[in-house]
Amino acid sequence: MSKQPFLSGKKGVLGVILLIIFLSALPIVLEAEESYFIYFLYISFIYITVAQGWNLVAGYAGQVSLGQHAFFGIGAYVTAMSWDAGLTGYLDPVAMFSSGAIAALLAVIIGLPLLGKLRDDYFALGTLGFAEILRVVFIQGKDITGGPIGIMLPSGRYAGMTPYYYISLGIAVLTLVCIWFLIRSRFGLGFVAIREDEQAAEANGIPLLRSKILAFSIGAFFTGLCGSLTAYYSFHIHPGGVFTLTWGLLPLLMTILGGIGTFWGPVIGAVLLAGVFELANMWMPELHTLISGLFIVLVTMFMPNGVVSLVKGGDGPPFLYRIGPFRSLFGQSNTGRVSDGAYENGAENTIQR
Amino acid sequence: MANEEVLRLENISKSFGGVKALNNVSLSLAKKKIVGLIGPNGAGKSTLFNVVTSFYKPDQGRVFLEGRCITGVTPYKICRKGIGRTFQLVKTFTSMTAYENVVVGALYGHKLRGKDAQKSAMEALELVDLADKKDVVTSHMTLSDRRLLEVARALASMPIVVLLDEPMAGLNPTEIVKMLQIINRAREERDMGILWVEHKVDAVFHLCDHVAVLDYGVKIAEDTPENVAHDTKVIEAYLGKEAVKR
Repeated sequence: MSKQPFLSGKKGVLGVILLIIFLSALPIVLEAEESYFIYFLYISFIYITVAQGWNLVAGYAGQVSLGQHAFFGIGAYVTAMSWDAGLTGYLDPVAMFSSGAIAALLAVIIGLPLLGKLRDDYFALGTLGFAEILRVVFIQGKDITGGPIGIMLPSGRYAGMTPYYYISLGIAVLTLVCIWFLIRSRFGLGFVAIREDEQAAEANGIPLLRSKILAFSIGAFFTGLCGSLTAYYSFHIHPGGVFTLTWGLLPLLMTILGGIGTFWGPVIGAVLLAGVFELANMWMPELHTLISGLFIVLVTMFMPNGVVSLVKGGDGPPFLYRIGPFRSLFGQSNTGRVSDGAYENGAENTIQR
Repeated sequence: MANEEVLRLENISKSFGGVKALNNVSLSLAKKKIVGLIGPNGAGKSTLFNVVTSFYKPDQGRVFLEGRCITGVTPYKICRKGIGRTFQLVKTFTSMTAYENVVVGALYGHKLRGKDAQKSAMEALELVDLADKKDVVTSHMTLSDRRLLEVARALASMPIVVLLDEPMAGLNPTEIVKMLQIINRAREERDMGILWVEHKVDAVFHLCDHVAVLDYGVKIAEDTPENVAHDTKVIEAYLGKEAVKR
């Protein structure tokens, strides 16, 4: 059984580089300011980044966070507040980096109690609660945060779609490259070990809390970057817009649809779902949510391992393999398969700590 | 030195609510030796393991590794200091290959890097005869192979002491013979002591230098396998008072 992920090796690297060159050239070919497609790609890149950030925490390290919108919101507010105060400028790399860094710092601070004391569902609820608390804090923040109305930024500075496109592309590429190397390092191996069995991971020398916080804060950093760029794009930041659960749930949906715990899953899921949202919105605005919802239900029903399982060499078994008539086409390729390994999974005697 | 002490437990006590799971248990383990730990269900064997690996904190008593007190150190540091363990219910990382499982032990358990980690992982796999299955995903392995894999993962962290928690559970007679060979090989090739909890008493008696018997959290006997087998207290614990009279 091969575990080689697809798009790896020399051909894969070449393919990815060509794709990046193609994407970089697009605004030149298409009319960037007019093209809806450029906007679509811009929002897709942001979705890819946020989804991949969540995938690192939940898909690889197994810590399901429902509070990613906290980091998105913090990123947006750090950028908006520092620009409002005159500390940073328009599309300022320092502001963007600080936004990510402060989101990551927040993840460390909140991760210590949440990741240290809570597990599984309780951790998920804890992160959800934390993000909601943060939203209320920013609503009640009076002059410091601008209250429920938020912060207005000088929209006259808008420099057109092109810079946003390139920055979002850059952020997405940076995220993917970082996470690609991270999951292939010993840290990535440690994350997966923690996901598979915390007790065994700990008994084999993996520092649980430190590793979990590392994954959590790296995810938060990239999510914060996206929040920052969104602040520059919308010129109006308010708690209802950036601390909304949408930014907590979208990455989750996209990652699961694409293939959780796989590298390309969140990428495919983000682009696909963004596409479905936009198309449904364009053609049948009144049925938009219905169609998007139906799509999500169908994918999860028929592709529980995500869309990535369609691609040969993806991390799950190929989708077509699981449909009766196609089974013979694939043959018995699973060498070394002896049993399904469900011997003793029933009675887990977890140790109380 | 043949009789070098690697692990010493001093007067360990541990209660859960009103139940005394361990009561004043002391134990000593020397390098290259295997000490078997037997006892009826609920005698406190697994609790003792969890105290040694710091998953539980003892109410009383101390644990020494090569003369240094390690009581209360966090579990991941216990591993790095040199105590490896396996679990009664196998806990392999199921989505990983056999090699990836073992390399975790080398990378994290002994902080080896790069080629050193690879080498340590492959040596451990070879020791348990799993080198040819290194690329098999763990969820596709038999129970017997996964138990061996756990041993390999513990060995890859270059332990001074290995705790085996019922490595024979669920294995068929052929697999038990194989496991016995491998435990013996591990003792001969590595400079370490082995503490071995087991229900299959004949397997323990076959290989152990010493056998300790726990009953209701109390160590009721510790001696060579032959003497333990004839100890009245032990027979009583396993078969009841009637058996002793006869």
